[in-house]
Amino acid sequence: MRRAARAVLVAAVRGRRARGGPWGEAALAEFDQTTGRWEAVRWAAGGLRAVWHERRARIRTLPARVRIQRAAVIAALLMIPAAVVVNQFVLTPRYIPSGSMEPTVRVQDRVVVDKVSFRLTGIRHGDIVEFDSPLTPGAPMLKRVIGLPGDTIECREGRVYRDGAVLDEPYLEGPAATDDCGAPVTVPAGELFVLGDHRIVSQDSRQLGMIPQDSVDGRLLARIWPLS
Amino acid sequence: MPRPSHASPQTLRLFEALLAEPARWRYGYDLSRETGLASGTLYPILMRLSAQQLLDTGWEASDEPGRPPRHTYRLTTDGIVLARQRLAAAARKQPGTAAAFVPRKA
Repeated sequence: MRRAARAVLVAAVRGRRARGGPWGEAALAEFDQTTGRWEAVRWAAGGLRAVWHERRARIRTLPARVRIQRAAVIAALLMIPAAVVVNQFVLTPRYIPSGSMEPTVRVQDRVVVDKVSFRLTGIRHGDIVEFDSPLTPGAPMLKRVIGLPGDTIECREGRVYRDGAVLDEPYLEGPAATDDCGAPVTVPAGELFVLGDHRIVSQDSRQLGMIPQDSVDGRLLARIWPLS
Repeated sequence: MPRPSHASPQTLRLFEALLAEPARWRYGYDLSRETGLASGTLYPILMRLSAQQLLDTGWEASDEPGRPPRHTYRLTTDGIVLARQRLAAAARKQPGTAAAFVPRKA
Protein backbone atom coordinates (compact mmCIF):
# COMPACT_ATOMS: atom_id res chain seq x y z
CA MET A 1 0.00 0.00 0.00
CA ARG A 2 2.74 2.44 0.95
CA ARG A 3 4.73 1.51 -2.10
CA ALA A 4 1.71 1.91 -4.36
CA ALA A 5 0.94 5.33 -2.88
CA ARG A 6 4.54 6.36 -3.34
CA ALA A 7 4.60 5.09 -6.93
CA VAL A 8 1.46 7.07 -7.78
CA LEU A 9 2.89 10.22 -6.25
CA VAL A 10 6.22 9.77 -8.07
CA ALA A 11 4.39 9.29 -11.36
CA ALA A 12 2.30 12.41 -10.76
CA VAL A 13 5.25 14.55 -9.68
CA ARG A 14 7.76 13.50 -12.28
CA GLY A 15 5.87 11.96 -15.16
CA ARG A 16 8.56 11.17 -17.69
CA ARG A 17 10.95 13.77 -16.35
CA ALA A 18 13.86 12.94 -14.08
CA ARG A 19 12.69 15.53 -11.57
CA GLY A 20 9.35 17.19 -11.05
CA GLY A 21 8.55 20.73 -9.97
CA PRO A 22 9.95 21.88 -6.62
CA TRP A 23 6.66 21.62 -4.74
CA GLY A 24 5.88 18.16 -6.02
CA GLU A 25 9.40 17.06 -5.12
CA ALA A 26 8.96 18.63 -1.68
CA ALA A 27 5.82 16.62 -0.98
CA LEU A 28 7.55 13.54 -2.31
CA ALA A 29 10.62 13.99 -0.10
CA GLU A 30 8.39 14.28 2.97
CA PHE A 31 6.59 11.07 2.05
CA ASP A 32 9.28 9.03 3.80
CA GLN A 33 8.45 10.75 7.07
CA THR A 34 4.96 9.33 7.21
CA THR A 35 4.27 6.30 9.33
CA GLY A 36 1.64 3.69 8.68
CA ARG A 37 -0.19 3.03 5.50
CA TRP A 38 -3.18 5.36 5.93
CA GLU A 39 -1.06 8.33 6.76
CA ALA A 40 1.04 7.54 3.72
CA VAL A 41 -2.01 7.32 1.48
CA ARG A 42 -3.39 10.60 2.84
CA TRP A 43 -0.06 12.28 2.34
CA ALA A 44 0.18 11.03 -1.24
CA ALA A 45 -3.39 12.10 -2.00
CA GLY A 46 -2.69 15.60 -0.70
CA GLY A 47 0.56 15.54 -2.66
CA LEU A 48 -1.43 14.97 -5.83
CA ARG A 49 -3.42 18.08 -5.02
CA ALA A 50 -0.19 20.01 -4.54
CA VAL A 51 1.06 18.75 -7.90
CA TRP A 52 -2.20 19.83 -9.52
CA HIS A 53 -1.83 23.34 -8.07
CA GLU A 54 1.76 23.56 -9.19
CA ARG A 55 0.83 22.43 -12.67
CA ARG A 56 -1.95 24.98 -12.92
CA ALA A 57 0.42 27.70 -11.80
CA ARG A 58 2.92 26.63 -14.46
CA ILE A 59 0.28 26.62 -17.18
CA ARG A 60 -0.74 30.16 -16.22
CA THR A 61 2.76 31.32 -17.03
CA LEU A 62 2.64 29.94 -20.59
CA PRO A 63 1.97 32.39 -23.42
CA ALA A 64 -1.71 32.90 -24.19
CA ARG A 65 -1.26 31.48 -27.69
CA VAL A 66 -0.01 28.14 -26.37
CA ARG A 67 -2.77 27.92 -23.77
CA ILE A 68 -5.46 28.63 -26.37
CA GLN A 69 -3.96 26.07 -28.73
CA ARG A 70 -3.94 23.45 -25.99
CA ALA A 71 -7.50 24.25 -24.98
CA ALA A 72 -8.59 23.94 -28.62
CA VAL A 73 -6.90 20.57 -29.03
CA ILE A 74 -8.41 19.22 -25.79
CA ALA A 75 -11.84 20.53 -26.77
CA ALA A 76 -11.57 18.87 -30.18
CA LEU A 77 -10.53 15.56 -28.65
CA LEU A 78 -13.43 15.65 -26.20
CA MET A 79 -15.88 16.62 -28.91
CA ILE A 80 -15.24 13.57 -31.08
CA PRO A 81 -16.60 11.00 -28.60
CA ALA A 82 -19.35 13.44 -27.57
CA ALA A 83 -20.42 13.76 -31.20
CA VAL A 84 -20.43 9.99 -31.68
CA VAL A 85 -22.66 9.52 -28.63
CA VAL A 86 -25.04 12.31 -29.66
CA ASN A 87 -25.26 11.01 -33.20
CA GLN A 88 -25.93 7.48 -32.01
CA PHE A 89 -28.46 8.14 -29.27
CA VAL A 90 -29.81 11.68 -29.38
CA LEU A 91 -29.97 13.39 -32.75
CA THR A 92 -29.04 12.00 -36.10
CA PRO A 93 -29.15 13.34 -39.64
CA ARG A 94 -30.94 11.38 -42.35
CA TYR A 95 -31.04 11.59 -46.11
CA ILE A 96 -34.51 11.07 -47.60
CA PRO A 97 -34.35 8.67 -50.55
CA SER A 98 -38.09 8.42 -51.19
CA GLY A 99 -41.01 10.65 -52.12
CA SER A 100 -43.51 8.89 -49.88
CA MET A 101 -43.70 11.80 -47.41
CA GLU A 102 -44.08 14.57 -49.97
CA PRO A 103 -44.83 17.41 -49.73
CA THR A 104 -43.80 17.50 -46.06
CA VAL A 105 -40.42 15.90 -46.68
CA ARG A 106 -39.19 15.79 -50.26
CA VAL A 107 -36.84 13.42 -52.01
CA GLN A 108 -33.19 14.40 -51.39
CA ASP A 109 -34.05 16.43 -48.30
CA ARG A 110 -31.84 16.06 -45.29
CA VAL A 111 -33.60 15.92 -41.95
CA VAL A 112 -32.73 15.53 -38.28
CA VAL A 113 -34.32 12.71 -36.32
CA ASP A 114 -34.75 13.12 -32.58
CA LYS A 115 -34.21 9.80 -30.88
CA VAL A 116 -34.97 10.81 -27.30
CA SER A 117 -38.01 13.05 -26.91
CA PHE A 118 -40.65 10.60 -28.12
CA ARG A 119 -39.60 8.25 -25.35
CA LEU A 120 -40.33 11.00 -22.84
CA THR A 121 -43.50 12.52 -24.31
CA GLY A 122 -44.92 9.42 -25.98
CA ILE A 123 -45.98 9.18 -29.61
CA ARG A 124 -48.91 11.40 -30.62
CA HIS A 125 -51.24 11.70 -33.60
CA GLY A 126 -49.56 13.48 -36.48
CA ASP A 127 -46.00 12.76 -35.36
CA ILE A 128 -43.70 11.73 -38.16
CA VAL A 129 -41.78 8.75 -36.82
CA GLU A 130 -38.82 6.80 -38.05
CA PHE A 131 -38.97 3.03 -37.69
CA ASP A 132 -37.30 -0.03 -39.03
CA SER A 133 -38.87 -1.08 -42.32
CA PRO A 134 -40.83 -4.34 -42.01
CA LEU A 135 -39.90 -5.08 -45.63
CA THR A 136 -36.16 -4.62 -45.47
CA PRO A 137 -34.88 -4.76 -41.91
CA GLY A 138 -32.15 -2.23 -41.29
CA ALA A 139 -33.63 0.37 -43.63
CA PRO A 140 -35.32 3.23 -41.76
CA MET A 141 -38.75 4.43 -42.92
CA LEU A 142 -40.44 7.74 -42.17
CA LYS A 143 -44.26 7.89 -41.87
CA ARG A 144 -46.95 9.93 -40.15
CA VAL A 145 -48.77 8.43 -37.15
CA ILE A 146 -52.52 8.25 -37.94
CA GLY A 147 -53.75 5.71 -35.44
CA LEU A 148 -52.67 5.04 -31.86
CA PRO A 149 -53.71 1.93 -29.91
CA GLY A 150 -57.51 1.86 -29.54
CA ASP A 151 -58.22 4.06 -32.60
CA THR A 152 -60.37 2.66 -35.39
CA ILE A 153 -59.10 3.75 -38.80
CA GLU A 154 -60.87 3.54 -42.15
CA CYS A 155 -60.93 5.50 -45.39
CA ARG A 156 -63.80 6.42 -47.71
CA GLU A 157 -63.68 8.45 -50.91
CA GLY A 158 -60.01 9.13 -50.41
CA ARG A 159 -60.34 10.54 -46.88
CA VAL A 160 -59.23 9.07 -43.57
CA TYR A 161 -61.65 8.53 -40.67
CA ARG A 162 -60.52 8.02 -37.12
CA ASP A 163 -63.21 6.59 -34.81
CA GLY A 164 -65.77 7.64 -37.41
CA ALA A 165 -64.66 11.30 -37.64
CA VAL A 166 -63.01 12.58 -40.80
CA LEU A 167 -59.43 13.75 -40.28
CA ASP A 168 -58.40 17.27 -41.19
CA GLU A 169 -55.09 16.80 -42.98
CA PRO A 170 -53.75 20.19 -44.08
CA TYR A 171 -50.30 18.70 -44.74
CA LEU A 172 -51.57 16.76 -47.77
CA GLU A 173 -51.33 18.03 -51.31
CA GLY A 174 -53.84 17.63 -54.13
CA PRO A 175 -57.23 15.94 -54.04
CA ALA A 176 -58.14 13.42 -51.35
CA ALA A 177 -56.42 10.23 -52.45
CA THR A 178 -56.17 7.90 -49.48
CA ASP A 179 -57.45 4.65 -50.96
CA ASP A 180 -57.02 0.95 -50.36
CA CYS A 181 -57.36 1.01 -46.58
CA GLY A 182 -59.47 -2.12 -46.59
CA ALA A 183 -61.96 -2.79 -43.84
CA PRO A 184 -61.97 -0.54 -40.75
CA VAL A 185 -59.24 -1.64 -38.38
CA THR A 186 -58.72 -1.05 -34.68
CA VAL A 187 -55.09 -0.48 -33.66
CA PRO A 188 -54.03 -3.07 -31.06
CA ALA A 189 -52.00 -2.18 -27.99
CA GLY A 190 -48.31 -1.61 -28.72
CA GLU A 191 -48.80 -0.90 -32.42
CA LEU A 192 -49.29 2.11 -34.70
CA PHE A 193 -51.19 2.82 -37.90
CA VAL A 194 -48.95 4.97 -40.09
CA LEU A 195 -49.43 6.62 -43.48
CA GLY A 196 -47.04 8.49 -45.75
CA ASP A 197 -48.18 11.97 -46.75
CA HIS A 198 -47.88 11.11 -50.44
CA ARG A 199 -50.89 8.79 -50.28
CA ILE A 200 -50.83 7.69 -53.91
CA VAL A 201 -47.33 6.22 -53.83
CA SER A 202 -46.65 5.62 -50.16
CA GLN A 203 -46.22 2.07 -48.94
CA ASP A 204 -47.52 2.16 -45.39
CA SER A 205 -49.96 0.50 -43.00
CA ARG A 206 -52.41 0.08 -45.89
CA GLN A 207 -50.07 -2.49 -47.41
CA LEU A 208 -47.72 -3.43 -44.58
CA GLY A 209 -50.17 -3.51 -41.68
CA MET A 210 -49.55 -1.97 -38.29
CA ILE A 211 -46.02 -1.36 -37.17
CA PRO A 212 -44.93 -2.26 -33.65
CA GLN A 213 -44.21 0.73 -31.40
CA ASP A 214 -40.98 -0.99 -30.36
CA SER A 215 -39.61 -0.54 -33.85
CA VAL A 216 -39.94 3.27 -33.63
CA ASP A 217 -36.46 4.70 -33.39
CA GLY A 218 -37.02 8.44 -33.55
CA ARG A 219 -39.23 11.35 -34.46
CA LEU A 220 -38.69 13.86 -37.23
CA LEU A 221 -37.40 17.06 -35.67
CA ALA A 222 -36.59 19.40 -38.55
CA ARG A 223 -35.37 19.64 -42.09
CA ILE A 224 -31.78 20.87 -42.27
CA TRP A 225 -31.36 20.86 -46.06
CA PRO A 226 -32.44 22.64 -48.14
CA LEU A 227 -32.47 25.58 -45.73
CA SER A 228 -35.67 27.68 -45.65
CA MET B 1 -16.62 42.76 2.81
CA PRO B 2 -14.40 40.08 1.30
CA ARG B 3 -11.92 38.44 3.59
CA PRO B 4 -8.40 39.84 3.26
CA SER B 5 -5.88 37.51 1.68
CA HIS B 6 -4.05 34.99 3.86
CA ALA B 7 -6.73 35.03 6.55
CA SER B 8 -8.33 31.61 6.23
CA PRO B 9 -8.42 29.55 9.43
CA GLN B 10 -6.01 27.09 7.82
CA THR B 11 -3.54 29.83 6.90
CA LEU B 12 -3.82 31.29 10.41
CA ARG B 13 -2.95 27.92 11.91
CA LEU B 14 0.06 27.72 9.68
CA PHE B 15 1.11 31.23 10.71
CA GLU B 16 0.85 30.22 14.36
CA ALA B 17 3.08 27.24 13.74
CA LEU B 18 5.63 29.22 11.77
CA LEU B 19 5.69 32.08 14.26
CA ALA B 20 6.47 29.76 17.18
CA GLU B 21 10.12 29.93 16.21
CA PRO B 22 10.31 32.34 13.26
CA ALA B 23 14.02 31.84 12.64
CA ARG B 24 13.97 28.06 12.39
CA TRP B 25 13.68 26.27 9.05
CA ARG B 26 10.67 23.95 9.11
CA TYR B 27 9.79 20.78 7.21
CA GLY B 28 6.48 20.29 5.41
CA TYR B 29 5.69 17.07 7.22
CA ASP B 30 6.30 18.58 10.65
CA LEU B 31 4.15 21.60 9.79
CA SER B 32 1.42 19.23 8.65
CA ARG B 33 1.55 17.32 11.95
CA GLU B 34 1.64 20.48 13.99
CA THR B 35 -1.23 22.25 12.23
CA GLY B 36 -3.29 19.18 11.44
CA LEU B 37 -3.48 20.33 7.82
CA ALA B 38 -3.41 17.59 5.19
CA SER B 39 -0.66 17.87 2.59
CA GLY B 40 -3.19 18.86 -0.06
CA THR B 41 -4.19 21.89 2.02
CA LEU B 42 -0.78 22.76 3.36
CA TYR B 43 1.24 22.82 0.12
CA PRO B 44 -1.09 25.13 -1.84
CA ILE B 45 -0.92 27.61 1.05
CA LEU B 46 2.88 27.35 1.14
CA MET B 47 3.02 27.87 -2.64
CA ARG B 48 0.84 30.96 -2.38
CA LEU B 49 2.91 32.46 0.43
CA SER B 50 6.14 31.68 -1.35
CA ALA B 51 4.95 33.17 -4.65
CA GLN B 52 4.28 36.44 -2.80
CA GLN B 53 7.66 36.45 -1.08
CA LEU B 54 6.10 35.93 2.33
CA LEU B 55 7.87 32.61 2.75
CA ASP B 56 11.49 31.61 2.22
CA THR B 57 12.14 28.14 0.93
CA GLY B 58 15.28 26.08 0.89
CA TRP B 59 16.51 22.55 0.34
CA GLU B 60 18.27 20.66 3.06
CA ALA B 61 20.10 17.41 2.54
CA SER B 62 18.44 14.60 4.40
CA ASP B 63 20.23 13.32 7.49
CA GLU B 64 19.61 9.76 6.35
CA PRO B 65 21.74 8.66 3.39
CA GLY B 66 19.90 7.77 0.19
CA ARG B 67 16.93 9.95 0.99
CA PRO B 68 16.16 12.96 -1.22
CA PRO B 69 16.82 16.47 0.13
CA ARG B 70 13.94 17.99 2.06
CA HIS B 71 12.24 21.28 1.30
CA THR B 72 12.29 23.73 4.21
CA TYR B 73 10.29 26.83 5.01
CA ARG B 74 10.60 30.01 7.03
CA LEU B 75 8.61 33.25 7.00
CA THR B 76 10.37 36.24 5.46
CA THR B 77 10.43 39.55 7.32
CA ASP B 78 7.35 40.64 5.35
CA GLY B 79 5.78 37.30 6.11
CA ILE B 80 6.34 37.68 9.84
CA VAL B 81 4.78 41.14 9.81
CA LEU B 82 1.77 39.95 7.83
CA ALA B 83 1.32 36.82 9.94
CA ARG B 84 1.32 38.82 13.15
CA GLN B 85 -1.20 41.27 11.66
CA ARG B 86 -3.55 38.54 10.52
CA LEU B 87 -3.41 36.68 13.81
CA ALA B 88 -3.98 39.88 15.77
CA ALA B 89 -6.91 40.85 13.54
CA ALA B 90 -8.44 37.42 13.98
CA ALA B 91 -8.03 37.55 17.73
CA ARG B 92 -9.61 41.01 17.85
CA LYS B 93 -12.56 40.09 15.72
CA GLN B 94 -13.43 36.93 17.51
CA PRO B 95 -11.27 35.56 20.26
CA GLY B 96 -10.23 32.09 19.35
CA THR B 97 -10.81 32.31 15.59
CA ALA B 98 -7.54 30.67 14.83
CA ALA B 99 -8.54 27.81 17.05
CA ALA B 100 -11.98 27.57 15.44
CA PHE B 101 -10.57 25.26 12.82
CA VAL B 102 -10.22 21.97 14.63
CA PRO B 103 -7.85 19.72 12.73
CA ARG B 104 -8.39 16.06 12.32
CA LYS B 105 -5.82 14.12 14.30
CA ALA B 106 -3.44 12.70 11.75
